[in-house]
Amino acid sequence: MGTENPGRPNFPMRPPPGPFASAPPTMTPFSSSRPTPPSAYPTMTPFSSAGPRPLARFGDQSVPPPPVTSVPPAGGPYQQFPTSPSPSTAQAPPIRAPPQGQPPFQPRASQVSASSVSFPPQSQVPPVPMGSSPQSVNFSPSGVNVPQPPTGSLFSGPRPNIQPTFSPPDSSYSAAKSTFQPPFPGYPSKKSAVSQTPSPFPAQQGSFMPPPPASSSPFSSQQGSYAPPPLVAASLGYQSRGQMQHPSSAPPIGGIQSLTEDFSSLSLASLPGSIDPGCDHRTLPRPLDGDVEPSSFTKMYPMNCNPRYLRLTTSGVPSSQSLASRWHLTLGAVVCPLAEDPEGEELPVINYISTGIIRCRRCRTYVNPYVTFTDAGRKWRCNICALLNDVPGDYFANLDATGRRIDLDQRPELLKGSVEFVAPTDYMNRPPMPPLYFFLIDVSISAVRSGMIGVVAQTIRSCLDELPGFPRTQIGFITYDSTIHFYNMKSSLAQPQMMVVSDLDDIFVPLPDDLLVNLSESRTVVETFLDSLPSMFQDNVNVESAFGPAVKAAFMVMSQLGGKLLIFQNTLPSLGVGRLKLRGDDLRAYGTDKEHLLRLPEGSFYKQMAADLTKYQIGVNVYAFSDKYTDIASLGTLAKYTGGQVYYYPNFQSSIHGEKLRHELARDLTRETAWEAVMRIRCGKGIRCTSYHGNFMLRSTDLLALPTVDCDKAYAVQLSLEETLLTTQTVYFQAVLLYTASCGERRIRVHTAAAPVVTDLGEMYRQADTGAIFSLFCRLAIEKTLTNKLEDARNSLQLRIVKALREYRNLYAVQHRLGSRMIYPDSLKFLCSYGLALSKSVPLKGGYADAQLDERCAAGFTMMALPVKSLLKLLYPSLIRIDEYLLKPSAQTEDFKNIMKRLPLVAESLDSRGLYIYDDGFRFVIWFGRMLSPDVAKNLLGEDFAAELSKVILTEHDNEMSRRLMRILKKLRESDPSYYQLPYLVRQGEQPKEGLLLLVNLIEDQMGGTSGYVDWIMQIHRQVQQNT
Amino acid sequence: MAWDLIFWVVCFFINIALLASSFYQLLSLSDLEADHLNPFEASTRINSIVLPEFLLQGFLCISFLLTWHWFMFLFTLPIAAYHLMLYLNRKHLLDVTEIFRDLNTEKKYRFIKLAVYLLLFTVVLFRLVISAFNSLHDEVDVHAF
Repeated sequence: MGTENPGRPNFPMRPPPGPFASAPPTMTPFSSSRPTPPSAYPTMTPFSSAGPRPLARFGDQSVPPPPVTSVPPAGGPYQQFPTSPSPSTAQAPPIRAPPQGQPPFQPRASQVSASSVSFPPQSQVPPVPMGSSPQSVNFSPSGVNVPQPPTGSLFSGPRPNIQPTFSPPDSSYSAAKSTFQPPFPGYPSKKSAVSQTPSPFPAQQGSFMPPPPASSSPFSSQQGSYAPPPLVAASLGYQSRGQMQHPSSAPPIGGIQSLTEDFSSLSLASLPGSIDPGCDHRTLPRPLDGDVEPSSFTKMYPMNCNPRYLRLTTSGVPSSQSLASRWHLTLGAVVCPLAEDPEGEELPVINYISTGIIRCRRCRTYVNPYVTFTDAGRKWRCNICALLNDVPGDYFANLDATGRRIDLDQRPELLKGSVEFVAPTDYMNRPPMPPLYFFLIDVSISAVRSGMIGVVAQTIRSCLDELPGFPRTQIGFITYDSTIHFYNMKSSLAQPQMMVVSDLDDIFVPLPDDLLVNLSESRTVVETFLDSLPSMFQDNVNVESAFGPAVKAAFMVMSQLGGKLLIFQNTLPSLGVGRLKLRGDDLRAYGTDKEHLLRLPEGSFYKQMAADLTKYQIGVNVYAFSDKYTDIASLGTLAKYTGGQVYYYPNFQSSIHGEKLRHELARDLTRETAWEAVMRIRCGKGIRCTSYHGNFMLRSTDLLALPTVDCDKAYAVQLSLEETLLTTQTVYFQAVLLYTASCGERRIRVHTAAAPVVTDLGEMYRQADTGAIFSLFCRLAIEKTLTNKLEDARNSLQLRIVKALREYRNLYAVQHRLGSRMIYPDSLKFLCSYGLALSKSVPLKGGYADAQLDERCAAGFTMMALPVKSLLKLLYPSLIRIDEYLLKPSAQTEDFKNIMKRLPLVAESLDSRGLYIYDDGFRFVIWFGRMLSPDVAKNLLGEDFAAELSKVILTEHDNEMSRRLMRILKKLRESDPSYYQLPYLVRQGEQPKEGLLLLVNLIEDQMGGTSGYVDWIMQIHRQVQQNT
Repeated sequence: MAWDLIFWVVCFFINIALLASSFYQLLSLSDLEADHLNPFEASTRINSIVLPEFLLQGFLCISFLLTWHWFMFLFTLPIAAYHLMLYLNRKHLLDVTEIFRDLNTEKKYRFIKLAVYLLLFTVVLFRLVISAFNSLHDEVDVHAF
């Protein structure tokens, strides 16, 4: 199986006339059709070989004899093989360079064979051990290199049985081959198949290499079957992805050029008779580069806002409803209004208080680079609703000969897609609020025991200087167990005064004025309080938690101003309103209609409370720490509808998790935050936002209320066409966030983007943006788990992918002979891998036993808010091998790029001699191979390197290796500071820890009932082919 | 006969109340959609009259049963049962946080209810007129003899 480059004709249109010998051509699986200079290309060999069994088969075939030429010129080696090549064999082989693909296969073979058995047999081809004649007939006569349907091979018996018969061919033929090796990197691997020296993939060997004989087997089995082996890419191996995408080896294609295709494809031909599923997992496309922002979009419209603010699922907007209905990847956008700007790219802030902000009279669009000025500069036409507006006198400027305003250079709002306006008083209901932080801290016994209070108090104290908005910042505290404790922090006091309210049914707020104080005035009191907080409750033995009443109390204190409420909760709320039952994670509920209820908040208190909080501009962040069930589904509701987020530290121990909490809390407190914000997205005529997804509450049909919002929050929106036909050439989108900045200014942040209207479905696919699509899919799927079974959510995700690929296939099925190849646009080459990753992500995976309910819910809340880049990282985490870097004598910092090479998430990537870091953006798992040199472990872990790793905490030791490791970790953390990755150490074979921490996250592997990547692709491919 | 008339008059007014409540809820929802009303207010308004409406409708249904008006009883039964089901599942109140997502379903549900109430209204009106005519007729008869 290979990935081909778009734009390259891959499909052979006619039978290969001659020996396809030149080495390079063989690399392009489908290119074979053009005549190429004969060379001694040995690829033919496999087919000619075939032991006794193949012979029998050939007899059956009623295939017209192929052109003689197909017999490879490199005759010598072949003569060995007893069978005269049957017609079909001769032809077919050239088409896809068979041998090349093989090496990759072998290692996996053993694995796959096990998994493949589970596949339901497809209608396509009856499994025949050695390749069925009908199949070969299919393609052989025409010489079309249509790959074989994947099925047959899968079901055939265990490979090993077959092997022995075929093993012979090697030595002579490998020798012949060796001459050809140089041109392709992958080539040697082929040889390896034969001679068992797989040089390109040394890393894998250790961990999973099957015994030598096995390696030759795939090869031989192919020979027997004649099924063409996987494509080009296979030979190149996944190591050189770049090459794979653009195989330079492909020769000019001549006559077929006209058929240039713009899709990529995977050949999923299974080899009849082999157990191989017909595609090589190493060549499958994998998102090893992380998120790639769409570039064509910005190139076409240079004045668009940066894609980090706004991304469309496809930059080609369909021109008609019928076209839109064929686009199954949902039309939508992901908006991250406050995305962090790289250093030096801050948005221009424009102050038009004197003139008023220029907006369209009708649709209220803000002036942007795409408006056009006419009538000598006296009028401007709104780009969204096309209304002609007057230019106010203060804003007037003449137009030059080309119709540009002469003052264009001084008008950033007419040059840039993203600007910030300072809002005049019309945009305020009340004076801009000061930044306000209110802390609600659980001080019951479990909180004390876990050490959470100490860490929180310390962190808050250390952040006091960095809280945004000095000197207006306000701060307040409430602690609670079975009673609620208020703290009077009036600046005139020397010490905070504690007031205890124990009447939970009728909460009242004592001294309503002094509970929220100005931080700069009461600084000393606040510091005294934070210093004494941990000791104040260290002997507390109260086990109750009056969570609901405490939230109500905080709400009453804050409702005057709004602000950010940080809740630190350690147990299940047990007293007063909002107390929760131990609903628990009920095994029996899974798979029934009641399953989703577990993931919904209990009772109406939390929803109502969340609505009230939003109404009064209070954003909630929930920090949950319990080791037991805390009903995150209910607690998280508060964060979900107030634009906040949920931080979950299961089984929190300050000695272990303290660092993570410290960083994340500090980030939460110090990052730039927008207060009392609302966001609206305007779309050009004919397009409408139909639904919004993320953590917020809708205030009206199209207005998102965001009491607090920051750079780590993104929102997804689905779009639909309102009119059956769009008449314009371009559609504009404008996302506007109106907020109060911490400095006390009311601001309007405007992001404008344009996208072309396209009439062609293929163009839509070409412009697709996988990141945005999955951001949207992820949110839809998580929402679906709230009303349906997990299973249903996964199925609907798969269905969407299948439908999309089927539609795409239909586009090309007629004009090209696709056979059983799987085709997909280059822009969506990761559709399947992310789809698999998403269905194996924590909120969606498995059933009862696969993830704890709280963990599932917490992950769901988190993923609903994640920006695209972090989400993709979480879906397909990076796996990096670092032992080589650590051991290298002189390591430069610029080496960093090199060592950050991400590996596919399969167990085969792990070499028992290596040291690996797994990084999903939320944690590190550092994996020590069993055969890793003890020196390394000792250097990194200190004296206790042999101890149980779960008790070891990674600290820096006084040696170069340890420092380097720390540098790597730091570097990785810097790439996304929104979460702190805590390192977990695990040694190979240390069960069940290894399984839980790492193996279960190797999403491409088959794991208890879930399919592996290859299986998943085959499954999708099979479904795509049905009904086509 | 006078009792019969009184019964239908009571039914008539109950029906008008039901109609009004349905209409009011629909109006609130359209206001919400048109942004004349914020979700907090809309849901408070609607939720405050949901239960009274359920009770009233239930009372009407039962009184039809008790007065042996089989046809009318069966006519009102489906809605009463549906109300009961909503109430038992705790789904009778609007969820303020997701109000926009449910807006269309809620509107449709209320439209259907409004239509049924209107139908009921015509029937009740018809019966009211008949019974009024009858009672008048009876009186005339009494006088005649």
